[in-house]
Amino acid sequence: MRTDGVHGRGAAASALPEEVFRRSEPDARSHDEEFGQERFLRPFAVTAGDPDAHAVLGPESSGLDMLSLVVAARVPGRHEWLRPERGAILGHALRARTVVELAAEVRLPVGQVRGIVAAMVADGSLQRCGPSRSLGRQDILHAVLVGLRSL
Amino acid sequence: MASADSETRPQEAIPQAVKIIIAGGFGAGKTTLVASVSEITPLSTEEVMTEASYGVDDTGGVEQKTTTTVALDFGRITINDDVVLYLFGTPGQDRFWFMWDELAEGALGAVVLADTRRLDTCFHAVDFFERRGVPFVVAVNRFEGSTVYREEEVREALDVSAEVPVVLADARERESCKEVLVELVTHVIRGRNPVMSG
Repeated sequence: MRTDGVHGRGAAASALPEEVFRRSEPDARSHDEEFGQERFLRPFAVTAGDPDAHAVLGPESSGLDMLSLVVAARVPGRHEWLRPERGAILGHALRARTVVELAAEVRLPVGQVRGIVAAMVADGSLQRCGPSRSLGRQDILHAVLVGLRSL
Repeated sequence: MASADSETRPQEAIPQAVKIIIAGGFGAGKTTLVASVSEITPLSTEEVMTEASYGVDDTGGVEQKTTTTVALDFGRITINDDVVLYLFGTPGQDRFWFMWDELAEGALGAVVLADTRRLDTCFHAVDFFERRGVPFVVAVNRFEGSTVYREEEVREALDVSAEVPVVLADARERESCKEVLVELVTHVIRGRNPVMSG
């Protein structure tokens, strides 16, 4: 079971001070490639030790939920080598994507990706986008019903 | 390749993303159901939880925080140009309840998958959706070798109100899963639950 496999890893991450994670990032990356699924979680490195990023981890403070849609407002730049997660998110958000899909694609916990996405929306790298057509709840339900029946 | 094309079309239609929750006990067939109807191979992400672990680990009275991660699987069905439906399987273990609130927020409704061999494992899910006012249906997943119960028997055992649909299903069969989702959406439209309006 996958959750069992990652249990100890997360616990180990929290036991070490965040300085260690920032310094050891290149090593951690090579571990990623080496161990695949057993990659080491670097919660502090990923948010670049940015206290603001931690502050926006929750849906209530960032205004983002798992199904919020964002789209890249710029192409990945040269400075992205220090923050590969941001480069990867930009690369996956060429078309409007939900936060949870981006999390699955960059293989990071959805709460962290929400934090990074919120920071990227704040600095203009990503744009939030609403649906092209705003539908009422009943219209959505009827559309879903018709869509499901015709599957 | 469509990539060059998409960059020159900023006005691409952006659909509304909506979700349905697939809940139930550990091993009830949630991931199977999502995979049966999803247009994509179900994707997986994780959520990190932090919990105070005093009383669990003997750390000599020192309260410690530990983090653990929990897998979250989801699938997708494109309804039309305007609506995309996401199906989220809830983490099966009870200790991951912290995720349910966010999952349930704004959901169209929920499917509670019941395993008749371990009916008690879905009590929590029924309770959760009842309390939150999230409309749901109970789908009894048929496992080979399990006793076949009638709808009324399951309804009585779960003590769900009369208006909650209880349907028999096979999570491995796409048609069957489709019927469960249709039953749920029909139930939501019929129900006009106050929580779902607006």
